[in-house]
Amino acid sequence: MEPTRDTHATLVDLLDRVLDKGLILNADLMIHVAGIPLLGVKLNAALAGMETMLKYGIWQDWDEAQRSIAAEEWRQKRKEVPLADSEIATTF
Amino acid sequence: MEQEKGRYLYGVAASERAVRLGPMGIEGCDVYTIPYEDFCAIVHNCPTEPYQSTDEEMVKRWVSAHQGVLDEAKERFGAVIPFGFDTILQPRDEAISPDQVVKDWLKGDYERLRALMEKIKDRDEYGVQIFYEPGVVGRQIAEQSQEIQKLKEEIATKSPGMAYIYRQKLGKAAKAEMEKLADRWFKDFYSRLKPHCDDIVIEKTRRANGDRVMLLNLSCLVHKEKVDSLGRELEEINNMDGFSVHFSGPWPPYSFVAKAVVSIKGE
Repeated sequence: MEPTRDTHATLVDLLDRVLDKGLILNADLMIHVAGIPLLGVKLNAALAGMETMLKYGIWQDWDEAQRSIAAEEWRQKRKEVPLADSEIATTF
Repeated sequence: MEQEKGRYLYGVAASERAVRLGPMGIEGCDVYTIPYEDFCAIVHNCPTEPYQSTDEEMVKRWVSAHQGVLDEAKERFGAVIPFGFDTILQPRDEAISPDQVVKDWLKGDYERLRALMEKIKDRDEYGVQIFYEPGVVGRQIAEQSQEIQKLKEEIATKSPGMAYIYRQKLGKAAKAEMEKLADRWFKDFYSRLKPHCDDIVIEKTRRANGDRVMLLNLSCLVHKEKVDSLGRELEEINNMDGFSVHFSGPWPPYSFVAKAVVSIKGE
């Protein structure tokens, strides 16, 4: 069988990849929003995609992944001081 | 132009040329390349703010444009290391030009980019999802499982009350059998696809439309000479009764460049 790139049939494949993957940069080069590297607030950036993602059930994983990346950065920044769960939840 | 101090990054290509790709970027922005040695970053100029919108259609258009630029870059330059959506570089102070920031980054990450480029050369990413239909597969299980056959025979001889309890038992037995099989299928399909791929990322399965259940969700890095053989393998699986395959691509290798470290330098 042949692989497809049909726009309609592969929209989820595309969103999965473009919104959630790809090369990651050093955070200090990235634009910051409210002091957080964009990496962490990508969450907001794609919020329009949220409904689509909810529809296809991929939002939750993605949200968790973004939060854990941001939380990890903040942990490193704060020199290994772990964040309390409540702090992670309010990072955004 | 004064406000356009950000550089939206689409990807990095193996080319030393500074070229204009034209107004094909997000929102019709002019896309061009910023070279450093034998690599170039594919960018457009933008304010130092992320693209964000609550309009779903707009985000889809942005994402499609992002992908469109990468397709064009692949066409022109061969291998491209893709960035995810909304990766924007900004100068840290007035003294450095935005283009210089991009060059500095290319220089600083040169070795890592070289290693990635080597890994993805002549390869593309493909999405592979395998589904099964519990209805069809369930019937096959019922026919093959002796335990289920036995329970079915016993039901026929029972009173309505007991038959109800037996049907519950039957349901449980069928479900357990299905789970056992799903595990075996996963391993079987994975090992059949593996020889055709240079690398595989196992993605989480998602809820599927209709009666289908997603058994396997993979991102595969495939050499261009192995795409046909992977397609044949998937064809065989697709032809199995009760199974279907979704095979998408070629994509830029989004899933195989993402693992690179997130490092934080001092403020």
